[in-house]
Amino acid sequence: MSQHSMLVDESRCIECKSCTVACKQENNLQTGDWWLRVWRREQLKGHLVRYYNTQSCRHCEDPVCQVVCPVGAIQRGKDGLVTQNNAKCLGCHVCATACPHSGMKIMTNGKVGKCTLCRHRLERGKDPACVSVCPVNSRVYGEREELLREASERMEDLRAKGMSVHLEGVDKEQSVVMYLTVDAEN
Amino acid sequence: MGSYVRTRALTQSTKPIEHDEELRTSVCCLCNGGCGIKISLDQDGKIKAVFGDPDNPYNKGKICSKPMAIAQTLSGPYRVRYPMKKVNGSFERISWDEALDLIAQKYNQYIQENGTGSIVGITSKIGGSYSKLAHGIFSSLTGLVNYGTGPICTDSEANVRKKLFGDGSGTSPLSDVVNSKILLIVGNNAAQTKAGQFHWITEAKRTGTRIVVIDTRFTETAQAADLFIQIRPGTDTALGMALLNYVIKNNLYDPTFVSEHTNGFEKLAQDVSAFTTERAAEITGVPQNVIEKLAQDLATLKPGMLFEGRGVVCVNNAGASVWAFEGLMAILGNIGKPGAGIISHINNTGGIINLIQANDVMKPDRKRSSSALYKDMEEGDVKMLLISGNPCVTWPDSARMSKAIEGLDFVVSHTLVMDDSAVLADIVLPATHWLEEAGMQASVHRVLQWKNKVVEIRGEEKSGGDFYRLLAERMGLPSSYFPDSPEAAWELERKYNKNVTGISRERMLETPGGVHFPCAEIGKETVRLFANCVFKTSSGKVELTEVSDAPLEYVDTFDAPGNIGSSREEFPYLLSTNKVASHYHSECQYSDWANEMEQPYVEMHPLTALEIGVEKGNQVRVETVTGSIVLAAKITQSVPRGFLSTQPYFGFQSPYGQAPANTLFPVAADPVGGNLVSKNIMCKAKAEGGQGS
Repeated sequence: MSQHSMLVDESRCIECKSCTVACKQENNLQTGDWWLRVWRREQLKGHLVRYYNTQSCRHCEDPVCQVVCPVGAIQRGKDGLVTQNNAKCLGCHVCATACPHSGMKIMTNGKVGKCTLCRHRLERGKDPACVSVCPVNSRVYGEREELLREASERMEDLRAKGMSVHLEGVDKEQSVVMYLTVDAEN
Repeated sequence: MGSYVRTRALTQSTKPIEHDEELRTSVCCLCNGGCGIKISLDQDGKIKAVFGDPDNPYNKGKICSKPMAIAQTLSGPYRVRYPMKKVNGSFERISWDEALDLIAQKYNQYIQENGTGSIVGITSKIGGSYSKLAHGIFSSLTGLVNYGTGPICTDSEANVRKKLFGDGSGTSPLSDVVNSKILLIVGNNAAQTKAGQFHWITEAKRTGTRIVVIDTRFTETAQAADLFIQIRPGTDTALGMALLNYVIKNNLYDPTFVSEHTNGFEKLAQDVSAFTTERAAEITGVPQNVIEKLAQDLATLKPGMLFEGRGVVCVNNAGASVWAFEGLMAILGNIGKPGAGIISHINNTGGIINLIQANDVMKPDRKRSSSALYKDMEEGDVKMLLISGNPCVTWPDSARMSKAIEGLDFVVSHTLVMDDSAVLADIVLPATHWLEEAGMQASVHRVLQWKNKVVEIRGEEKSGGDFYRLLAERMGLPSSYFPDSPEAAWELERKYNKNVTGISRERMLETPGGVHFPCAEIGKETVRLFANCVFKTSSGKVELTEVSDAPLEYVDTFDAPGNIGSSREEFPYLLSTNKVASHYHSECQYSDWANEMEQPYVEMHPLTALEIGVEKGNQVRVETVTGSIVLAAKITQSVPRGFLSTQPYFGFQSPYGQAPANTLFPVAADPVGGNLVSKNIMCKAKAEGGQGS
């Protein structure tokens, strides 16, 4: 079976937060709970540069959250998806502290929670909720090989326009969710 | 060790929604983007989830957060479910019969004793096509004068465009942008306000359309553009006039189009002749070479399109700006061709004619401008008010509006939620939501789509269509004119408005994305207006200088209505409002998700924050001549120094429990176009509650 992935293209994000709301709707998250957030970063470098930083679990190949969890509540499945078992979770939040991507969120019930990549939707042949709504295709889901091609095409276009970009979630630090990121130094 | 449940963990954090295969199709009626949506209902018939409709060619299954969030408001705690009457200051439930009898009796009494002009409608949220038609019939029969969305949103834009081209609607569909070489976006943050349709602009950009954004704020739209030109607030007219002057002086206009299809070119050239790019650069802050390059680009990259937004059409010199920019599009010949023209969410299908017999028509015995309405309400000339909307939040000088409404003899609010206006009413009537009412919806792509009712009402809600028919019956008016269903209303509209005669409900439902209008018969759909270069003005030409008796002139925003007489020393900053993706008008505020996404704030530049002495999140008191409100500081370099901006919503009755932003805007109208002003008003700001210096 070919491997599937998600590509998050920061350069296209318009901060409409439709992904955030779709995630809450799909996963029935309570008020105050989030698995996916969009943050705004601004930098003045000759002219004003702004990025939208979307944060959710990247489903790492070598998840640090799994390593630090004292009760083994976090596991990486054969499909590459990292799942968190709410019944086992102590609510110690060590994983939330350890995650370098702010993918693990502290929930209002005191435990942690995180993106499941809408596994229940994937099983039914549908895209994750955030991907299904994104009006500017900043979020896309598909076969990894195809997404890598798509990402390199997008990066080529952006570089041709003078932007400095790179792809995260490939090579050494592999993850199911790949990020096309605009470099801050630009 | 087994699993351990903390006391705080007794609530389950998540359970994915269960998916059903049967989804109901509708069209989002919020921003006029016309996104197709799919609704999933639970066993009780309540909305479980809202998705994008993949079969709709305009949004292709994608949606913004608003239709998802709006579903929460339908069954939310703020919803009005049954008619109520105010007794000794508090509301008591009554029947529709009692409410209608009371309104009919009062209405007839005021007509007889005080004349038709003593009754006024503020009806910006009347409902769908059925309700609009019934309300129109009712107004013809009673001489009711209505103030819709126009005064606070579209008057300047529609009035000026109508004078120029003979039609206030946008001339071309948004989707035409992919055929365009250049798109000029002025004061319009479509990335936030039409997020679901913004992909048309980003796709066009990728296939070579040059996207130029002119705005005071570095918006999300500006960020997605090829070129962002940051302009001093309120100076767009100066830029537009300089572009006109440069294009004319350098013979960059379309001479054939100008000579064959326009009137007044020489006069227009005279009006703008003093506006050199050098002078415009001084006023606007945009470098001279940038203005000249833009003029050259507009002249060479053809076809080109223009997309104005509320940032330029709701300011105190709006009419002149619209005149200048749309006049520019005309002399460049950018009208009526594929990839050319003006995009707008104003898409009027035109009214019905000859339905009401002449002897049944009642003319209003007096009319007032939207700004004169305040005084006439305060002085007792207006006795009764019919509200569908929330003028106490959306109209300028909200505190004055609230007080004026409070002082009226009899107020009826037909409303979705118990908002700031409804609490002042004598009778509150429950209105249907657009998901609870079938109807036709026009979109920014110049198409008409039909949506069936997808959600059953849960209380005693009635549409405006039903309300006005029933009221007419009680008042003894010839009620046979009224349609009794959305479907019957549409058939009536097709019969009496030739612009839609060729568009049946079946066609709208069968055609993905809807049917282009005007369309008098099948096969005569009009994708873009004026393809034959015959304009709807009396001369059949573009009237470049008939917008006003006065010449096209630039008025400094500090010397324009709303700011005249204010001291620059006392009020050193400018205040505007801007929309955000999570909200549309005041209705989206009533959703939990919208609240989680957006809280009230005031944007300011770091140097402004330093001057005031506040940090991120600190409370700031923003004050203008009409009053003051307190907002949390949001510090961003997206706005220029000395310029503050907040969202145009809130309300004491809203979940935010916050004074409306419009409290800060004086009642002032753009002299050319007539729009009430909701941007660029002089203000001061200081730290609230002992913070800062």
